[in-house]
Amino acid sequence: MNINFSGVSKIFEPDIAALVDINLNIEQGEFVYIIGQTGSGKSTLLRLITRELLPSRGVVAVGGVDMRKINTSDIPYYRRDVGLVAQDFRLIPSLTVYENIAFVMEAMSVPKKLVAERTRAVINQVGLWRRRTMRPSQLSGGEQQRVAIARALANSPSLFIADEPTGNLDFTTASEVMKILFAINAAGVTVVMSTHNQSIVNSSRRRVIELVGGRLVRDEKGGTYVS
Amino acid sequence: MTALKYILRDMVRLVVHHWVLGLLTLITAGVMLWILGVTTLLSLNIENMLTKLESELAVQAYLVKDNTLDVEAVSKKIQSLEYVASMKAFSPADSLAKLQEKMGSQSRALEMLGDNPIPWNFEIHVNRAEDVAPLVNALKEMPEVEDVVYAGMVVRRISALSRIASRVAMIMFILSVVITSLVVYNTIHISLYSRREEIGIMYLVGATRAYIATPFVLEGTLLAFFGALIACGGIIAAYFPGIELIRENLPLLTNILLTDRGIIWRFCALLAGFGATLGWVCSYLVVSRFINSITRPE
Repeated sequence: MNINFSGVSKIFEPDIAALVDINLNIEQGEFVYIIGQTGSGKSTLLRLITRELLPSRGVVAVGGVDMRKINTSDIPYYRRDVGLVAQDFRLIPSLTVYENIAFVMEAMSVPKKLVAERTRAVINQVGLWRRRTMRPSQLSGGEQQRVAIARALANSPSLFIADEPTGNLDFTTASEVMKILFAINAAGVTVVMSTHNQSIVNSSRRRVIELVGGRLVRDEKGGTYVS
Repeated sequence: MTALKYILRDMVRLVVHHWVLGLLTLITAGVMLWILGVTTLLSLNIENMLTKLESELAVQAYLVKDNTLDVEAVSKKIQSLEYVASMKAFSPADSLAKLQEKMGSQSRALEMLGDNPIPWNFEIHVNRAEDVAPLVNALKEMPEVEDVVYAGMVVRRISALSRIASRVAMIMFILSVVITSLVVYNTIHISLYSRREEIGIMYLVGATRAYIATPFVLEGTLLAFFGALIACGGIIAAYFPGIELIRENLPLLTNILLTDRGIIWRFCALLAGFGATLGWVCSYLVVSRFINSITRPE
């Protein structure tokens, strides 16, 4: 799924410019890091892609569809094709690890047997099978992050959005998470990930988009954290 | 079918996971519907009492003393008047016998009158007290009718009381429905408010509005329905012993109160239906509001 930002600005009330005149194009199958300081607009950019936000100016198009023109009733169908790992995990507190992951498939009326198979597979993929009956509050930050990743993987999305997915993880766990993301990307899934983690960016040498004060200041293929 | 199974499972999950809030909704719905039920039963009893009193109001129409008068034709003429609910004809002989019976030991005084002075007469009943006045006017206009006797003041008072009671009963009923609806709506609102984050996450990971809303709406409907059943239990437990108590201490009132068990059971069935509908409407409105606020992008 390709992503296109054309002259996009996002201004929050009363007059806070989170993004200013962003132009970028991400092709299907790319792996892109969004970097920048806190408040530089990284999360806003990702939330525009997931259509949690609408641009104040310009056009955000995902898979050729203008996010402003998409019908409200079609949004859930769009989001089923987008795996999202949010900064604050966004896990349903009353559900167990297993139920949180199964939910995204159940919402699509996937038969129970398939749900069970797929859920088991993705939980194993993030190494949490033994924690499957626990609720998010009983897990560490890193474990919750992995549950969020497993949930995002459950629907085999063609676009994976991750907002600082390694932010709460130690080096070893972060490396494991990155391995999963690289594997997803290797399968042809577009991955857009915001991060502060310099070593991850520097070691993998993928496309880097840097934001400063809501402006795109660098878009470099095979880039590092600091230009 | 698969979706339905998941939705039903999610509804059970909601009830189990949030049982404290569910219990709050159940109790609130039960108490409010009990108050609504009691208020409505009270109104119905007042209405029933007045209807019975009104139906017992009688107008006595005395015909002119004329041997050539066709009583049957007059009877049909009166019967055709729109205010007449029922009527009974009394011959002069019947009337005299009735009078003698009423006078008891003093009935010999009637012998002093010589010929029976009482003409053919009709005892006419109406449905509503306010029908008496137009009926009396219509009877007075009939040349065959010599005199019309009725309890004018009583009729006017009952008529006025009936009008007031009907209005008060209607206001009481509407107020009870409005208050019950508001309280149940707010309770469901509080119950769902704590789960708005959950609703937001569901939408974010691709659940449709219907898939998110249905378990919540079913939960609200179910809780309000069970609340209504509790209310019905409370009403039945209080009403029938209450009627028994009245029957023992004030037997006269028994005839003018609603004592038919069938009516009370049907009333409870209606209350349970109303409870379920109220739960459905309130949870639908609350969930829709939450989903609308969540799905509206900034």
